[in-house]
Amino acid sequence: MQFTGLPISTILTIAGVVAAGVTVLYILKLRKRRIQVPFSHLWGRVLEKKRRQSDFWRKFRRFLSWLLHILMAALIAFALADPHLEEEEVRGRHILLLVDNSASMAATDVSGGADRMDVARQKALEILETVGAEDRIMLVAFNDQIQPLSPFVAEASIIEQPLRQIKTTATGTSYKDALGFAADSLRDTSNGHLVLISDGSGLSEETFEEFDFGEGTKLTHLKIGESSGNVAVTAFNVRRYVANKLDYELFVQVKNYFDRAVEAELQIHADGRLVDTKPLSLQPGETMQRFYPSQAVSGEKLEARVRLTSRDARDVFPLDDRAFAMLPSIRKVRVLAVSDGNLFLEGPLLLNPNLEVERIKPDQYTPDRSKGFDVTIFDSVAPALPQEGNFVFFDPPAEGSPWEQRGDIDDPIITAVKDSHPLMRWITLKDLNIGAATSWRTGRWDSTVAASFGKPLIVTRKRDNLNLIGVAFDIRNSDMPLRVAFPVFMINVVDYFTLDDDSYIPNYTTGDTWAVDVAKGADKATVTTPTGEQTEVPVYNGRAVFNGDQTGFYTVATADETKTIAANLSNLRESRIAPGDLELGKAKVDQDADSLIFERNELWIWAILALVLLLLIEWATYNRRVTV
Amino acid sequence: MAKNDQFDDEFLKKLEYLYIISKKIVAGKNQAERKTRIVGSGIEFADHRSYSPGDDFRGLDWKVYARTEKLFLRLFEEEEDLYIYFLLDCSRSMLLGEPTKWDYAKKVAAALGYIGLSNLDRVSIIPFSSKLDGRLPPSRGKAQIYKIFDFLRNLEAGEHTSLEDAFSTFVAQNKRRGIAVVLSDFYDPRGFEEGLNKLRYHKFEPIVVHVYDERELNPTVQGELQLVDVETGDVREITLTPEVVKEYRQAFYEFSEELEEYCTKKQVLYFRTPIQEPFDELILRIFRAGGFIK
Repeated sequence: MQFTGLPISTILTIAGVVAAGVTVLYILKLRKRRIQVPFSHLWGRVLEKKRRQSDFWRKFRRFLSWLLHILMAALIAFALADPHLEEEEVRGRHILLLVDNSASMAATDVSGGADRMDVARQKALEILETVGAEDRIMLVAFNDQIQPLSPFVAEASIIEQPLRQIKTTATGTSYKDALGFAADSLRDTSNGHLVLISDGSGLSEETFEEFDFGEGTKLTHLKIGESSGNVAVTAFNVRRYVANKLDYELFVQVKNYFDRAVEAELQIHADGRLVDTKPLSLQPGETMQRFYPSQAVSGEKLEARVRLTSRDARDVFPLDDRAFAMLPSIRKVRVLAVSDGNLFLEGPLLLNPNLEVERIKPDQYTPDRSKGFDVTIFDSVAPALPQEGNFVFFDPPAEGSPWEQRGDIDDPIITAVKDSHPLMRWITLKDLNIGAATSWRTGRWDSTVAASFGKPLIVTRKRDNLNLIGVAFDIRNSDMPLRVAFPVFMINVVDYFTLDDDSYIPNYTTGDTWAVDVAKGADKATVTTPTGEQTEVPVYNGRAVFNGDQTGFYTVATADETKTIAANLSNLRESRIAPGDLELGKAKVDQDADSLIFERNELWIWAILALVLLLLIEWATYNRRVTV
Repeated sequence: MAKNDQFDDEFLKKLEYLYIISKKIVAGKNQAERKTRIVGSGIEFADHRSYSPGDDFRGLDWKVYARTEKLFLRLFEEEEDLYIYFLLDCSRSMLLGEPTKWDYAKKVAAALGYIGLSNLDRVSIIPFSSKLDGRLPPSRGKAQIYKIFDFLRNLEAGEHTSLEDAFSTFVAQNKRRGIAVVLSDFYDPRGFEEGLNKLRYHKFEPIVVHVYDERELNPTVQGELQLVDVETGDVREITLTPEVVKEYRQAFYEFSEELEEYCTKKQVLYFRTPIQEPFDELILRIFRAGGFIK
């Protein structure tokens, strides 16, 4: 027998005082009620007869009554001590419920619930029902992030509501972070018990170090899920062609997670309209990649859908059957060319249908003229600049040049090129013939793109809101305009400023923190999720920063513009929904909740019931005058 | 007359009704309409007794002498006015509860008294406890009933019961024999025998009306109690249980039976009545038993 109630010394004191009190009350003479009778002589006859009964029995009855009360006091003491059987677990447990709500928990391969999350929720609720008065329980949801939903609380009902509100998110799973958090939470507690409720998808690909959960901590993994059947769109991208921004090409990657061949159908939708459909034959585990070149279908919101057509197979994870991509709307870039007339320079600009070019003479230029233009190109002139804007200088004169000139370079040869720089994309300046160039002194805001023996020939500068590109030679005094690279260079120049990266339109991955470029000057933006929820998010350095956990199209709105972006799961590991077991080295991990669920025999209740019974007996015998 | 007066017109009507009923039961003939048991010179044979020197030998029964060769005198009932004494217990035990035995006894006395007055008997009411607590001298004629009512109304409670002491005084003060109707609960610690014997020995003809209250036999309180005798102040501690109550009831019945047995043995008319019984029923019961009306 073990006692978990009040300290024994306290109970003995209370019981002693009560017993003494009861005894004193029995010793004290009862103050009897006085009533008048007409003829006490008759009562005397009765008393005489009663007196003839055994005095022993009368005394014994009184003793019996005293004994009954002492027994009641003993039962109260027994109940206060909160007795339990020796083999019973009575110490309060610290139970940490770690509930996986990553994307794979949306798989529907379960019975007894709509999806894995539903079953996980039910299992967690069942555990809550086993929580005893001494137990403390904590609820944590996790995907690729950890979300503690409560501290250790004594009242299990407190966490019922947050538990019911856990929803799956279209994000990956970080078991390591979650288990690390659990270990930190349980390490300093007594009688810890970690209950991981998860499908364990992806666990087989991970190995964990020994986590220190604290001494005696029990580990349980309640595995949810039964199947691995899934076909997923694991990548979906779109990019515009450099030369013709009206056309674009798509890239789709589909993976078969079945362990056998399946037939499927891949559909492309543009703004909700089906524009292409193709049958697919996927081998077990095959990853199929497919390009859709020269797409000219109108529409900005693109969607790829994969659908199983094999009748004997069922895709139990619909979340990754769709992927989304956003094609930015085409906008012509406005370019102001300040030149006395340079056909080589103006040619590529005028031929580019994506540009809107205006030409003015140098004497017509004032800093206000650059307002409304994305790029201003100065050809052999260097007028005063406004405070902000994008400017390109071709062979600027020494007076007014943003770069200090330190003499000339005769017959320069390009010896160094920063190939990774956006200006140098798809071009090479090898064997470029340059008649003469000016030697510039560069500063800390400058970045040299091409140089001749350490002397910069093509330079970029970013200072405050002023973005500059400088070319230290006259293109007419070189063969550059005659090269294929020159029109590309001019496109790169414009793209560099307008940040229009035609090679890749970024898709956002759920679960990550996103930084979306927004209009300058905004300090906050309103994000509308695919399900229509709106959130206000902060803007740092021209980027709205937030976290998305749903797939689909988001809109990011500021006062000046509204931008749409696409978000996908794009997580090969999360799409592998096959349930896995948690293995933590030598630590034993139970696979069921048997060790959690136990019935405690609350003996104190029986003591109280016995007390009530004795009271009833006392009441009945007193009223029947048996014990008095 | 007070509104809650127990001796109101209604009560008087009821008495008149009882009187008519009594006439049906027994019809009187003589002036005094009833006969005492006093043996005298009347014409109706009553009994024999042995001849003593000095007796009127005209009364010798020669036929008996012829059969037995012993001299016996023939005794005849003497006709005279009947005296009816109502000995009314006014001790404190009669005043317990509401309504009280005292009220009931007064009603019975008034009713029987009215019958007596109606029969031209001489009716006297004598309240007693340990002594005689007043006296209504013998009265005759129906008109005296109001006097009786007034007397009964103005009676006050007495002390403890002592039948022997009270009746000793009574027999000493009342030389004219007659019927002595004793209305009492007979709660006398010294017993009832001596008191009743006093009446008998002094040639009174006692009629015992034993009044009791059913509520006394069924006390509602239980538990640890101190019982205080309302007359003597004696205190007895008792744990009152249903079982004890039952035993008390048994003791009361034994006491009542002792009284009844005594009366039967001594040829005394005995009537036991709870105050819960309507008093007119008691009156009729007394009529039917005879003795009070002849």
